[in-house]
Amino acid sequence: MSDLEHFVRDVSEGALDPAAALDFVSDPGFGGITMFVGKVRDLNHGRRVLGVSYDMFDPLALKVFERAAAEATARFGPRVRVHVSHAKGRLGVGDIAVVVAAGTPHRDEAFRAARAVIEAVKHEAPIWKQEHYEDGDSVWSEGCSLCGGDAGPSHEHDHDHDHDHDHDH
Amino acid sequence: MRVELSLFGAFRDLEPRGSVALDVDGERVRDLRVALEAHASARWPAFQPGLLAVSAFASEESILREDDRLPADGKVAILPPVSGG
Repeated sequence: MSDLEHFVRDVSEGALDPAAALDFVSDPGFGGITMFVGKVRDLNHGRRVLGVSYDMFDPLALKVFERAAAEATARFGPRVRVHVSHAKGRLGVGDIAVVVAAGTPHRDEAFRAARAVIEAVKHEAPIWKQEHYEDGDSVWSEGCSLCGGDAGPSHEHDHDHDHDHDHDH
Repeated sequence: MRVELSLFGAFRDLEPRGSVALDVDGERVRDLRVALEAHASARWPAFQPGLLAVSAFASEESILREDDRLPADGKVAILPPVSGG
């Protein structure tokens, strides 16, 4: 059985399933299970949000998920099981956009692994959100540039893990 | 070379088809950036050069750097700053 489960689910195929994610990362030898669930929030920068549309470059996004899980295993393993799933399409307020779960023998590694993976998903995966507001306007969220240091263009900001995106969960 | 460029995020608003075919004078990613800027400036009234400046190019396998050769199959995606999760 693989220790990584990662996928993208179009909204037409149903909602993401946190319970299934917990099942996947569970093991008789794992005493620590953590999970992050990102949901669509109803307010951002003072504007009432009705929903969010997620656009995604699927093949590369899945590779980012896989690499993040592999890095988490290298850092916090060897006994780690990771789940990453992300929704694609239009979601309403309260709908689940992303699920990350980690299972390890003890809690510290589980917390750290899940945190590392969700930060990679947010900062490195080719995923874009467009917020739809109560007044009828829609805006693509600002985000993290993937240009790196050699492209002439530079990062819009550093990648400390405590910065705030437009619609951070 | 001929590049079929897939558009994502804010770039989709500029071209409803979601992709654009470009003739690139050169074989490096930086040459594609030049070609896209020319196309966008000429064809897309709402184009913002600042968005292109912070956008990366990628194949299905990885992010491409400016000095990288363009993929032989000509399939490239442009990735504006990301905001997943």
